[in-house]
Amino acid sequence: MRSNVTLGIVGAGGHGIVAMGSLLQRIAASQGYFSRMPRYYTAQIRGGGSAVRLILDSRRLSLPADVLDLLVCFSWEKYLEFETELTLGADTVVIYDDDPPSCMKLPRNSFKIGLSRISQEETGSERNMNLVALGLLSRMLSFDRGRVERVVEEDTALQLLKENIVALDVGESIFAEMSFPDLALEPSRDESPKVVIHGNNAMARAALRAGCRAYFGYPITPSAEVMQDMLEGLFYEQGVFVQAEDEIAAVGMAIGASFVGAKSLTGTSGPGFDLMTESIGLASAAEIPLVVIDVQRCGPSTGIPSKSEQSDLDHAIYGGHGDAPRVVLAPYDIDGCYRLVIEGFNMAEGYQTPVIILSDQWLGQTFVAVNDGFMKSDYNVIERKKPAAEETDGYLRYRVTNDLVSPMAVAGDEGFTYRTTGLTHNQGGAPAFDYETHQSLHQKRWEKLSPLRDRGDLVRVLGNEKATAGIVTWGSSAPFVLETVGQMAVEGELKVCIPELLHPLPHKVVRFVESVERLLVIEMNYSGQLYRYLRSQADLPGDSRPYCRAGGRPFSQRELAEVITEVVK
Amino acid sequence: MTKAGEYRTGVKPIWCSGCGNFGTLTALTKRVLPRLGLPRHKTLIVSGIGCSSRLPAYVDSYGFNSIHGRAVPIAQGAKLARPELTVLVVGGDGDFFSIGAGHLPHVVRRNVNITCIMVNNFIYALTKGQVSPTTPNVRRGEGVFLSHEYYPPVDPLLDMVSYSASTRASFIAQGIATDVAHLEWLIQEGIEHKGFSFITVLTPCVTYNPQWLFEIIREKAFYLRDTEPVLLPESSPERPWLHDPGDISLAFKLAQVPLLEQPLLGVFFRGKSGKPIEDME
Repeated sequence: MRSNVTLGIVGAGGHGIVAMGSLLQRIAASQGYFSRMPRYYTAQIRGGGSAVRLILDSRRLSLPADVLDLLVCFSWEKYLEFETELTLGADTVVIYDDDPPSCMKLPRNSFKIGLSRISQEETGSERNMNLVALGLLSRMLSFDRGRVERVVEEDTALQLLKENIVALDVGESIFAEMSFPDLALEPSRDESPKVVIHGNNAMARAALRAGCRAYFGYPITPSAEVMQDMLEGLFYEQGVFVQAEDEIAAVGMAIGASFVGAKSLTGTSGPGFDLMTESIGLASAAEIPLVVIDVQRCGPSTGIPSKSEQSDLDHAIYGGHGDAPRVVLAPYDIDGCYRLVIEGFNMAEGYQTPVIILSDQWLGQTFVAVNDGFMKSDYNVIERKKPAAEETDGYLRYRVTNDLVSPMAVAGDEGFTYRTTGLTHNQGGAPAFDYETHQSLHQKRWEKLSPLRDRGDLVRVLGNEKATAGIVTWGSSAPFVLETVGQMAVEGELKVCIPELLHPLPHKVVRFVESVERLLVIEMNYSGQLYRYLRSQADLPGDSRPYCRAGGRPFSQRELAEVITEVVK
Repeated sequence: MTKAGEYRTGVKPIWCSGCGNFGTLTALTKRVLPRLGLPRHKTLIVSGIGCSSRLPAYVDSYGFNSIHGRAVPIAQGAKLARPELTVLVVGGDGDFFSIGAGHLPHVVRRNVNITCIMVNNFIYALTKGQVSPTTPNVRRGEGVFLSHEYYPPVDPLLDMVSYSASTRASFIAQGIATDVAHLEWLIQEGIEHKGFSFITVLTPCVTYNPQWLFEIIREKAFYLRDTEPVLLPESSPERPWLHDPGDISLAFKLAQVPLLEQPLLGVFFRGKSGKPIEDME
């Protein structure tokens, strides 16, 4: 029996592709399988193409293989739109509804099964054909029938009808009538049910866990689920939620709510993040805690809204005029999406600064099935430093303290009234126009963040510590690099560094890059943004190079294996 | 009881001698805030950028002098997160009506219980005299750095009263900086009004307004009084009616009166229905 299987499902919008994929994922999760399901879609809501790629794994959370083991195709026309995401090999098993175009040569194990016709005949509607296919697949993969039925019954979106169960039965009978290659999965090693979640879900849950009680946002792909989840969550927490008129208003409201003491969040993607730039500078200047989640997508401008890229790093670190320090964090896996949002709130509140968390479409919208331990762990939650009650006499909002973080009273606190401003200001908050005040204010805002450079715990280093070849990668590129390094079995010949805190850059990253003779920086953007940033922060070895390319398609293991071979040889 | 004068900070205003902004500052610190007995720590004044936006620095309450055009969103976030605060927004015609205009219909439809005071001096003064959305047609050499009549091309002026009436703001009023007693009454009404309030303050800019502008406004100014006939200019096709600030259709008609033909001062509209957003269940 196999330990994992990578399958693809493709059809038109309305065929229930994502519904089928997520049912399959949840059925597998209920039996303890790990899984990951990137989805691909085109811009139109109906009539466009829709596809998922799903890896089910009995041992660990892995990445879908480059080549599919199984494809379920409801429409060849739509398949051609996603051909590069759904690569067929000689051994791929293909199940399809109607004849492919004559130009296509199908692998030998291809089965034409009239899914739509059978669905129409047996259930009275073509719309159940995804469930017919699900019934067939659950037998091919040897899932427990009882659990399949339970998951289908529990799906509120399906509004369970008798036809659903009939459709499953029909699918199962197809399995009995035909002879398919063996794709049966071994039982999951760890049978505890897995939670199915994506990065956008995880970030919203983490924000609530960190004590966020105010969210302001504007809909944008691919971050809309963050806003949607915060709407639900804050409803139960009786927090504040506003869908603002634009991202400028959203970030402004978040700053206003934070100014009066609420832990505040806004979430967006590239174009919306651009609009927030000026206000992020304000939060930095006036030292107001603020957390901004940017779920990156292909840019510039509108780019490809539904596809992943890591091209907002420059903007996150440098965006805006006039030397405005901020913190930039970037998770690379699902528990990082959760942990770093809590960390982000801690840093925002603890250092009174804007914190930008760079996620991306891959992390944000790829559903994974994993153990939920990361959501049950204990996390330290840090609250804002406030002035003691007896400090009312001569309270200075921007008093220079040892750690350069000034106790912050909030509107409503008696005895501490002060004025804040984006103007250069003195310790009391009154506008100032002299060089000395200006210079010392810069120093305060930058230097207060310097302890973050010691946060080695936010930099993951793997592989052979003594190796002279190193890879630095970040965000959603990291799991691809780790998977490829594992497949190549070269862990002994190199080391890999994944910084989760990108700015200020931890010393540990600098030590890493200065400890190797050959350095490869892998990231998904055209211009090598992390590579250039590292060059500005450390002495890179003479043999340093980026492997960077535009987003729009995840890295393949084959592609990465080629560049990694170069660096270890 | 808070005493008069306690609401001023020691910061010296940057405004020119004789600037109309002093009228709004005085109305707030000497009259409105003391009279309403608003605790300083429960009062928040948010502003954007411009001469009038410097006002928070001069009032001893919580204050936030933010960035150009964004005071309204910041004030909403603050009010929604802490509804027990009295939140005022102060800014100029450029701040509210040019760069920040996109936020106004939305704060109106949300009916957030904040009071906006738009100090209209008809000009960008802090940047030394460029036209604003409220600059009337004036001739070159009349004090305005850029005169409409020749260059740049004329953009028709945007009237804040008709704008707020068209978006159905729940409280609409217009005062004048040179009549502080009347202005303080309007601001007090605005603060006490439960819902979004929008108050315009006609404010002379002693440096960049042509001299005739406020001569006309002061000479022709007419005070709206409940149940008394309104004064309409000769150009108006309407016949005067008895002022009723509870009737939005009359507010629409008042909003059609060109400011320089007949400046109207008072409460244009005071809505009764509609719950502020923070009171919604």
